[in-house]
Amino acid sequence: MAAKDYDVLIIGSGASGGMAAYSLAKKGVKCLLLDAGPQVDFQRNRGLKPVYELPYRGFGKPGRLSHVFQANEFNANQWVDEAQVPYTHDPKQPYNWVRVRMVGGKSLFWARMSFRLSDYEFKAKDHDGFGENWPISHADLSPFYDRVEPIFRVSGRKEGLDQLPDGQFIEDKSPDSLASKRLGEAGKPLGMTVTKIRRSLGDGSLASSYNLLLPDAVASGNVTIVPNAVVRELSVDKQTGLVNGVHFVDRQSGRELYAKARAVVLGASCLESTRILLNSKIANSSGALGHYLHDQFYMSNSVVALVPEARDGKGGRGLVGGAGYIPRFRNIKTKEKNFIRGYAFDFSTGGTPDARYFPSWGEELQKDLDSARGAGFAATLMGEVLPRFENHVRLDKTVTDAWGIPVLNFQCRYTDNEFNMARDAVETLGEVCRTAGFEVLHRTDKMFPPGYSIHELGTCRMGDNPKTSVLNKWNQSHDIKNLFVVDGSSFVTGGSQNPTMTILALSMRASEYLAEQLQKRVI
Amino acid sequence: MKLETAVADDVAEMQPRFFNPSQFAALRKLSETLMPPMNEAPGAAEAKAAEFLDFLIGESPSERQQLYKTGLDLLNTQAKKRFSKASFAELDGGQVATLLAPLREAWTFDPPADLLSRFLRAAKQDVRAATMNSREYISAAASGGGRRGAGGVGLYWYPID
Repeated sequence: MAAKDYDVLIIGSGASGGMAAYSLAKKGVKCLLLDAGPQVDFQRNRGLKPVYELPYRGFGKPGRLSHVFQANEFNANQWVDEAQVPYTHDPKQPYNWVRVRMVGGKSLFWARMSFRLSDYEFKAKDHDGFGENWPISHADLSPFYDRVEPIFRVSGRKEGLDQLPDGQFIEDKSPDSLASKRLGEAGKPLGMTVTKIRRSLGDGSLASSYNLLLPDAVASGNVTIVPNAVVRELSVDKQTGLVNGVHFVDRQSGRELYAKARAVVLGASCLESTRILLNSKIANSSGALGHYLHDQFYMSNSVVALVPEARDGKGGRGLVGGAGYIPRFRNIKTKEKNFIRGYAFDFSTGGTPDARYFPSWGEELQKDLDSARGAGFAATLMGEVLPRFENHVRLDKTVTDAWGIPVLNFQCRYTDNEFNMARDAVETLGEVCRTAGFEVLHRTDKMFPPGYSIHELGTCRMGDNPKTSVLNKWNQSHDIKNLFVVDGSSFVTGGSQNPTMTILALSMRASEYLAEQLQKRVI
Repeated sequence: MKLETAVADDVAEMQPRFFNPSQFAALRKLSETLMPPMNEAPGAAEAKAAEFLDFLIGESPSERQQLYKTGLDLLNTQAKKRFSKASFAELDGGQVATLLAPLREAWTFDPPADLLSRFLRAAKQDVRAATMNSREYISAAASGGGRRGAGGVGLYWYPID
């Protein structure tokens, strides 16, 4: 059968590509959606197993997925195998690039934390003079967040904070635990707020592009999904300079294929979209493509403590239990001396700290653990990383992946702003925990390698100036009018908030703009 | 049709082959100290934790292998030097506790510079997981004799074509 003509070719079916398909389909635009991975069958591809039946007793095959700290022996096969799609970095400057190639992408596995960015991010330069503002503000994106949140069924509690705008929540009315309230009281003098986590409920078991966006897109009859399509590069019409198609490889057979399109939407994930553009040698008149790579530095168990009253099984409901969120409070009303921007925490109470935090072994350790059971407090620190030109990805032409496609080389490291912020964060939360009467077992301000949060952002940043940005305020290439990039690569700054809601809102906004442009025949 | 089969561990014994005999004897003693049988739950000995770690460390990157070999050798030389015993395996409870003193230090994110401390810290976590994720431990937990916290059943992703 001959190649078909589609209005829009979408690459990637996760949060960003899925939202593009959903939004364009609703406007009657005919789309071809390619994903590099298979459509998984949850019944067939997963099954319950006791840990002792795994070949490595749950330890995992030594050396496999060494950059994926989230991997374990149960889920090892869900991640992209680095042997198949490698990347390179200086051994002294590691980067944890964590990837999923399946229809639905990482939205099949995300932690579902669902926050908005505020004008402290969109207009960050106005606050501290660093970097660039986004070409849009919260007011521009708010109508789209308003529509995304109900699709994903975001639960949360409204707080009226400027730095964490409220959304269209399913109200979380569950009472705070006593431990949570005590933490809130202790942090109040510093301007801390303790709120509920904001989380996409989805249909309960899944809150993914796979179940919330793609079914409607396909049902409309306007979207054709082709899995196992590994994109090599985009093609450009030499006369017009516009993109007009895509060269891709069948993942399993290695057959080379070509599809045509009137417009292209990249939503292949931050760094895969950038890799496709670099390999296509397009959209980079600014020289900014691949640059300003940032993420959020995450430190799991940055503070581990015990709620003493909950020891020896006295916890129970009301005292401990559940999760909470401490939004950014630094550099809002005051100005810190040795860092700009800020950090957030999410925490849980009512768990049991890991055995490593107790200085004992054998029966004594067991007594320590029995006493601490259900009395634990643990917080993950999430800090803003400054977008710097120096932090970038580029092609490494000496290495190719399993399909012969050149891979990325990473040049990325954290600097003093991040280190100082981390130090302040764990010292401050440690003190707040003590004030709240918690017994602090452990705190650390040591960083995991960049990328660990799986929130890689930037490298195709948007802006009003075509000389310093890759995309305009509609996620549209300054250089090529029929090319859009709708994933996290468009971010100018990322704040400390998990980025998925913003990616979804940006993709919806860009896709509706594209549909309009197609209707008006501007594109 | 599906035939009933048994697992190899039910009919055969693991053959340690990575550590030398004195290292393995020290590992066995260390494992049994770190995870003794408690509250009717099997300990490291019943869970064959040392035998399993011989396999796991044997498959691991060389840095990990070196840490274990050096650490176990250190336990044996310390046993000779400080207690005039032939090996770590021959020490009594109090003597073993003296050599495990580095585990009294508070845990830090960065591994300690001291080799023995670093090894003991790794072994404490590994022996614990090797024991609690064993068939023996989990079966005991399931039949009510074990403690909570046993490794359990998880959702396994099969390799994708």
